[in-house]
Amino acid sequence: MVEPAYTVTSDSETTGEEKSSTFPEIAIGIDIGTSQCSVAVWNGSQVELLKNTRNQKIMKSYVTFKDNIPSGGVSSQLSHEDEMLSGATIFNMKRLIGRVDTDPVVHACKNLPFLVQTLDIGVRPFIAALVNNMWRSTTPEEVLAIFLVELRAMAEAQLKRRIRNVVLTVPVSFSRFQLTRIERACAMAGLHVLRLMPEPTAVALLYGQQQQQTSHENMGSGTEKIALIFSMGAGYCDVAVTATAGGVSQIKALAGSTIGGEDLLQNMMHHLLPNSENLFKNHGVKEIKQMGLLRVATQDAIRQLSSQTIVQVDVDLGDGLKICKAVNREEFEEVNRKVFEKCESLIIQCLQDAKVEVEEVNDVIIVGGCSYIPRVKNLVTNVCKGKELYKGMNPLEAAVCGAAVEGAIASGVNDPFGNLDLLTIQATPLAIGIRADGNKFVPVIPRDTTMPARKELVFTTTHDNQTEALILVYEGEGEKAEENHLLGYFKIMGIPAAPKGVPEINVCMDIDAANVLRVLAGVVMPGSRQPAIPVMEVRMPTVDDGHGWCAEALNRTYGATLDLVTLQKKA
Amino acid sequence: MSVVVSGCSLLFWSQTCQVHGHLNFNNPMPRWRQNLAVIRCCNRGTWEIPMTQNNYYDLLGVSVDSNAHEIKEAYRKLQKKYHPDIFGQKGHEYTLMLNKAYEVLMTEDLRRKYDESIGPMRLRFGGNNTQALGYSIWKGPVKPQALFVDENACIGCRECVHHASHTFTMDETQGSARVKVQYGDNDQSIEVSVESCPVNCIHWVETEELPVLEFLIQPQPKDGYGVFGGGWERPANVFTAAKSFNKQLKRKSTIRHDQSPGGTFEESPAQAEAQARADMKIKMEGFLKIWNWVKETLGMNINKNLQ
Repeated sequence: MVEPAYTVTSDSETTGEEKSSTFPEIAIGIDIGTSQCSVAVWNGSQVELLKNTRNQKIMKSYVTFKDNIPSGGVSSQLSHEDEMLSGATIFNMKRLIGRVDTDPVVHACKNLPFLVQTLDIGVRPFIAALVNNMWRSTTPEEVLAIFLVELRAMAEAQLKRRIRNVVLTVPVSFSRFQLTRIERACAMAGLHVLRLMPEPTAVALLYGQQQQQTSHENMGSGTEKIALIFSMGAGYCDVAVTATAGGVSQIKALAGSTIGGEDLLQNMMHHLLPNSENLFKNHGVKEIKQMGLLRVATQDAIRQLSSQTIVQVDVDLGDGLKICKAVNREEFEEVNRKVFEKCESLIIQCLQDAKVEVEEVNDVIIVGGCSYIPRVKNLVTNVCKGKELYKGMNPLEAAVCGAAVEGAIASGVNDPFGNLDLLTIQATPLAIGIRADGNKFVPVIPRDTTMPARKELVFTTTHDNQTEALILVYEGEGEKAEENHLLGYFKIMGIPAAPKGVPEINVCMDIDAANVLRVLAGVVMPGSRQPAIPVMEVRMPTVDDGHGWCAEALNRTYGATLDLVTLQKKA
Repeated sequence: MSVVVSGCSLLFWSQTCQVHGHLNFNNPMPRWRQNLAVIRCCNRGTWEIPMTQNNYYDLLGVSVDSNAHEIKEAYRKLQKKYHPDIFGQKGHEYTLMLNKAYEVLMTEDLRRKYDESIGPMRLRFGGNNTQALGYSIWKGPVKPQALFVDENACIGCRECVHHASHTFTMDETQGSARVKVQYGDNDQSIEVSVESCPVNCIHWVETEELPVLEFLIQPQPKDGYGVFGGGWERPANVFTAAKSFNKQLKRKSTIRHDQSPGGTFEESPAQAEAQARADMKIKMEGFLKIWNWVKETLGMNINKNLQ
């Protein structure tokens, strides 16, 4: 499937007007969350959050396709919140981007007012918005691009210069395929991605800057500080453990999952109206309205439960369907017990991966919209043995501020006061490897490897006189190959005929600091130092559509004829 | 004379094509590497040399008995200078090595194994050994001028060894000549030896420049990644590399000088001699540190100031 070339334009864009400037073009930082977004930039001495025409620093992430003219939450204002749930508005695009229709996250989005349909065969889901009583199809990339165009227009109007380079925050659990979709959406909006930063890494950079400033003020030598960073928004939960000293933040471990406020909301809605899936299946105008009303009421209830222990839910969905129920905090926490347990396990896993004891943690940082939920605060505090939470950051602004700082650093800005004398040494959030040893996932670059990274493994043939090998590159943590994301493939041809186990097939993977992955493969015969055939170098990902289906088709077509096994070291 | 040189170039060129015609690397190989590859193929003995890695301690600029805190500090300082976010894409290779060195030295069992494996090499490049392999020694007093063989240009004709066998020696591994004893023969034999060189690869250099030149001309082991890379490398133009090297040394010296208190005192001859030995030792220990920077710079065929 070849995607058509897109040109997304906006009335605010002034073509031809380009002011020459002697200053370097500083990249801006953008944090598009599942439900909210913000933009920040380094203004020469500090990070500044940009505001829209209604003086808002934090805006809602949605695009409304009313009257055939799409408009995003940056510049337009909904007359009331119900309008966002009328079917004409697409939101949660960050949750939908880069996913196939077998994904449970996609299925959960079927309960939203806009249309999500799936065939459950590993292709992209069908997404549509209700415009003038007609369902009009779109894609998450297009929705995101429209939104980015408005963000860009807002930033250009405020900074009075052309904006081209951006640093975006992304969830830790995003696969490389999803990262390419984000980059594509940015390209459609006329933006060049300088860096894609995992959200806790952006927070770590901001933390590093704060430690640097504190160190300067105290004339300290800058001892090492270990920080645990927990970030939970509407769509994703991310954890990182970092070591910071002298302005350098080392990411020791990362962990992430697709759980967030949206899951809490859906579970609560199901609790209030157990039969909601069946009731809303038709996606008619009446059902959409009912769905929206229930969603708004549940959202309000959850927000109030952050400050009070019991809340009354009263909503009339029409057709004699009424909900009149008192919900207390314990009830909310019990309904979402699995979500909170998953969050806790992420923190524990991250600390273990970093080989850091809880007692060694100096600062515990909680950011993201869900950081206001008492249960979330409690579970983080409990894992960290009651340690007090770090108070130096605004939970909703930390990630975008870190992205803006990274934008300044990556743009080559030099600050005379040393405020940008910073560096984040990133780590890979997921393992990358190939399929070998009979459908097993063999990691070449393990999880939490410091970037840039380059590692290699040696494999060999499984059949006598095997002259070809299929290299299937996966990303993830599952033990079987198909449990992970297929990034790409290529075939090594021309292996000299030899008994099985004799040829040495080197697979080398290289990730640079911009997170570009290259896979190299070469064949060496024992006793020789020269490659037997030309070395192959492939930039990944190469699979860009329906990768679930691709993996199954490859397996069905080739079976085990081109398989490899790991070569055992001859000690 | 020119015909001979041209013949050698043709020989290198044709052999290079034969040997590497089927490699499909994106970036063309630097010219010096092609020459070295040819030499490597002509001398089978090269393959007996183990593929040793860079010394991680020297790479990080720490001593072999430094603790975790010191290693972390050095790692962070170097990352702040050479990380691709700051230094650009050129910093990619260097940072890879830095990450690997840090990973090994910060893991207890990996470090123990590494210390065992570099035992012999430490004797060559560190410690108090002033008779390190490859460095020429002096017969009689030190003079302002010294002899140096540019081994990149040497064709191994053995003329210099024939005329001044106490001064020059053949490196059978590399197939090139080098100086073993400065002024080992009488002036007349040395003069004839220099004149007899068909490719003019023997140079009179300032004595103070000699240690840097002799260090840089030695092939340094290059870390390999399976079929990618490996082997040995040295700068194509050793004199240009020496300039960059000295510039870096001077900068470090300036920093050190600014930090030290002012004022000089008169030295006794014994003190001067001890000072000279200490300076030589410090230089040699610092060479490998700067060597990696020189490799990075020359690898791009760019000679520019780091700042």
